[in-house]
Amino acid sequence: MKERDSSDQETADKWEIQLRKGCLELAILAALWDGKLYGLEILRRLETDSDLIVSEGTVYPLLSRLKVLGLARSEWVESDAGHPRKYYTLTPAGKQRGRQMAGMWWRFSSSMSRLLAPLSREK
Amino acid sequence: MTRAGDAQHKIEAYLGRLRQLLCGMNAEDAREIVEELRSHITEKAAEDGQVTAAGVDTALTRLGSPEELASQYTTDALLARAEVTRSPVRILESLFRWASLSIAGFLVLLTSIVGYFLGGTFMWCAVLKIVHPQSAGLWVFPNGGDTGISLRLGFGNPPLGGRDVLGWWIVPAGLIVGCGLVMLTTRFALWCARQYRKSLALPRG
Repeated sequence: MKERDSSDQETADKWEIQLRKGCLELAILAALWDGKLYGLEILRRLETDSDLIVSEGTVYPLLSRLKVLGLARSEWVESDAGHPRKYYTLTPAGKQRGRQMAGMWWRFSSSMSRLLAPLSREK
Repeated sequence: MTRAGDAQHKIEAYLGRLRQLLCGMNAEDAREIVEELRSHITEKAAEDGQVTAAGVDTALTRLGSPEELASQYTTDALLARAEVTRSPVRILESLFRWASLSIAGFLVLLTSIVGYFLGGTFMWCAVLKIVHPQSAGLWVFPNGGDTGISLRLGFGNPPLGGRDVLGWWIVPAGLIVGCGLVMLTTRFALWCARQYRKSLALPRG
């Protein structure tokens, strides 16, 4: 019985991991929505605002991809910390992609919430 | 070596290795990547106030190995490139870089080469049937109990003892099957790149 419980938990964990991985790009677009941020700030923002703890090495290549696709642009800014930081800003195309993805997210999550309503009553 | 020197040495060793692995990339892009990560490591390692060797170790562990990081940049460049062009040459170019960085990349490259080669051969066979109508095509050779199948481009002498199964139908069939194989191979390579990226997206453990 214990074995069954741990395998159920493992399946649930895997499902949660897949879910989190799937929304990483949208989370980064959302983090950049209000203005420019540099890599480490984006990571901190994801951690505090979305509970999305991302592998640090994954965010930089993803930011680089957003730049190649014209969804974000970057600039180097000197900092008080003694080293320059690379700040990212969304381009109009990036904002458009963010709106599109957020729209899909809201439609999907609201229909799922309706479907899941009976489960919350049972809680 | 002083503690600060030790920390700096670790950072330079890591970034030096990463720079080597990114050598196939545009030099300016590679330089920017290295500088951005230098900035990240320095700031992360100094979160407790001062850059220490232990802080650098933690920062580097959280970033992942240079090989893993370079693979992620390569697969992301492949995915970004694929949104602009589906050219097999461009895709293979990125796959060669990925293959030099990980076993996963090597396996995807091997499979993709086979897929593109087969697709290309079918398309060439369709085109060359017009030039070599007597010998190009899909041939079957009965050989005792075994039957050999060969896709021939028509160079050299016409094959003896065989039968051209499709005749002129190889022209449309070759083009359709060839294009299909090329498209499937591209989809397969991109799917693998996406899966690989996703597999490294969240911290382990």
